[in-house]
Amino acid sequence: MNVCRHFRSALLAGIIAVACLHASAAEVKIVANPGLKSDSISASELRGIFLAQRNSLRDGSHVQPVFEKSGAVHQAFLKEFLKEDNETLQAQYYTLVFTGKASMPKTFNTDAEVLAYVARTNGAIGYVAASANSEAVKVLEVVEEGGSANRAVLVRVDPEYPETLKKLGIAGIVRLQVIISPKGSVEEASLLGGNPILGDAAIAAVKKWVYAAAPSRTTTEVTIPFDPRR
Amino acid sequence: MWRAAILLALGFMFLPSRLAAQSFTIDGRELQFHGYASQGFVHTDDNNWLTMETSHLGSGDFTEVAVNASMQVTDKFRVGAQGFDRDLGKLGDWHPELDWAFADYKFKSWFGVRGGKVKTTLGLYNDSQDLDFVHTFALLPQSVYPTDVRDATIAHLGGDVYGTFGLRHKLGDLSYTVYAGHRSDSLHSGYPYLLSQFGTRFTSFGGLQYGADLRWTTPLKGVLIGASRLDQDTSGVGTGVNQVTGQAIPYSEHSKSDWTNQYYGTYSWKHLRLDSEYRRYLRDQLIFGGTSEDKADVRGWYFAGAYRVVKHLELGSYYSRYTISDVVAGALAAEGFPSETNTSQPANHIYDKVVTARLDLTGFWNLKIEGHFMNGYGASTYPDGFYPQENPQGFKPYTNALVLKTGMNF
Repeated sequence: MNVCRHFRSALLAGIIAVACLHASAAEVKIVANPGLKSDSISASELRGIFLAQRNSLRDGSHVQPVFEKSGAVHQAFLKEFLKEDNETLQAQYYTLVFTGKASMPKTFNTDAEVLAYVARTNGAIGYVAASANSEAVKVLEVVEEGGSANRAVLVRVDPEYPETLKKLGIAGIVRLQVIISPKGSVEEASLLGGNPILGDAAIAAVKKWVYAAAPSRTTTEVTIPFDPRR
Repeated sequence: MWRAAILLALGFMFLPSRLAAQSFTIDGRELQFHGYASQGFVHTDDNNWLTMETSHLGSGDFTEVAVNASMQVTDKFRVGAQGFDRDLGKLGDWHPELDWAFADYKFKSWFGVRGGKVKTTLGLYNDSQDLDFVHTFALLPQSVYPTDVRDATIAHLGGDVYGTFGLRHKLGDLSYTVYAGHRSDSLHSGYPYLLSQFGTRFTSFGGLQYGADLRWTTPLKGVLIGASRLDQDTSGVGTGVNQVTGQAIPYSEHSKSDWTNQYYGTYSWKHLRLDSEYRRYLRDQLIFGGTSEDKADVRGWYFAGAYRVVKHLELGSYYSRYTISDVVAGALAAEGFPSETNTSQPANHIYDKVVTARLDLTGFWNLKIEGHFMNGYGASTYPDGFYPQENPQGFKPYTNALVLKTGMNF
């Protein structure tokens, strides 16, 4: 009886330990210096930055990647975001360094070291455990490109045409970047291109749009035409 | 060879368990130093290979070292340089050289320029062929990356324009490199050594080199394909020996036509990597002051696979196929020097089957054990690994080789 009880206890402890290990290995968050303009980063940008294929975001912000040397967080990041193993990643960086095309990135042993460096270094972007204290840094949302294309617009509000521009017959196309919450509300809309006055009208309308729900926050581009003849 | 091996062994013994690159901060900017060294041993059952005396007890005249320094001066501007030295049998022979040294300004991710001595982008591995520690194999497929004539393609003194841009509609990324410059061969490389059998001694060899590379990271996960083109206009100057009278004469040669097309693809999935490349090199050279013409059509391809079994062990294999068709015209032909166009003859091909095991003993120290099973010896007017000087008794049709190589990097 005692043997059975001990065996059950050991088995239970083992299952809990494996579950904790699995949980801690899987959860990684991307952190950046608070000075970075963007609140999100696309999966392809993230991969490009950490594979030294690019050193700036689409909005022009210069970034520098920061790695952890090893450990569960590092392995989880490689698997989830870079889709590479450590040996392949090392070989890629060594090829770049030894042909003069890149420098070895900063690497640290612990989440705390990564967070300290990212907090004080402009443009630094790294990864830490999801549970790490990230008060001093910005946590970036990783968005899948094209993911938002599948989000249907459930409620669409047409923009009010600015009276003066309409009378003057001024037309145009406005491009907006729109950040959509998981529930479908528009969290943020910003002008990417087009007449600024038309842009203000478009932003005011788009902020009232409601999209279909999704597992995570997404970013999309919205194009709104303004035609005074309509 | 033994001095190099002893120095490397001592280095391995006294190195710390973790090797880190050295770096210093100058005016808020990091200056990084990196380096590598490798030592190999080759034994063959028949035919001496790569200018080494491999067929008796084997040869350890197979050492490479390099050290570099680089700095990211601003977000967009970096500078760096690397020195390189090697000993490969009769080649290299411990004559250090500047491997690369350039300044690089990246205006945008899709447009950058670099100028100086720049490694040439040609195929998958031309610019990294010396970096033993990043490759699975001790010797890359010699049909496409012949180590004895690395100087022909390794770098140019000039400039590159390069960039990467994303394609719309999720079609992946396109990377391009366009370059032009001057190639300057070491006098201790394969081609000067091959011609030395005829008493020719070069005092210089090199010339204009320009080309482009385009590679597509496709939307298919892990698939990359690309193509490269290289054009050259080379000339060599030195002294020769009149093959009839035995008198010393001035020697010169220059290109009539010299181009390379290379096509490649790679697929990686988890711990598996598959590579394949095809290279065609056409070399039409006016030699002996233009009195003779030597046109060599060199074609090579390989298919390679590598799999990381566990963290410290990777297994790999490739099949490499090399053929050379050589047509001689002019005075040399009149003197009876033969053309060789039948690539089925062992003298005009090398078919190589290779198996490799790579052990990563630590994060910076690796050991490779590799077997080559070669059919043919490609003895022609262009180097292909087998040299008459090391094989005065003539060539045997088959060569099996064992290659052991160890290397470290920081």
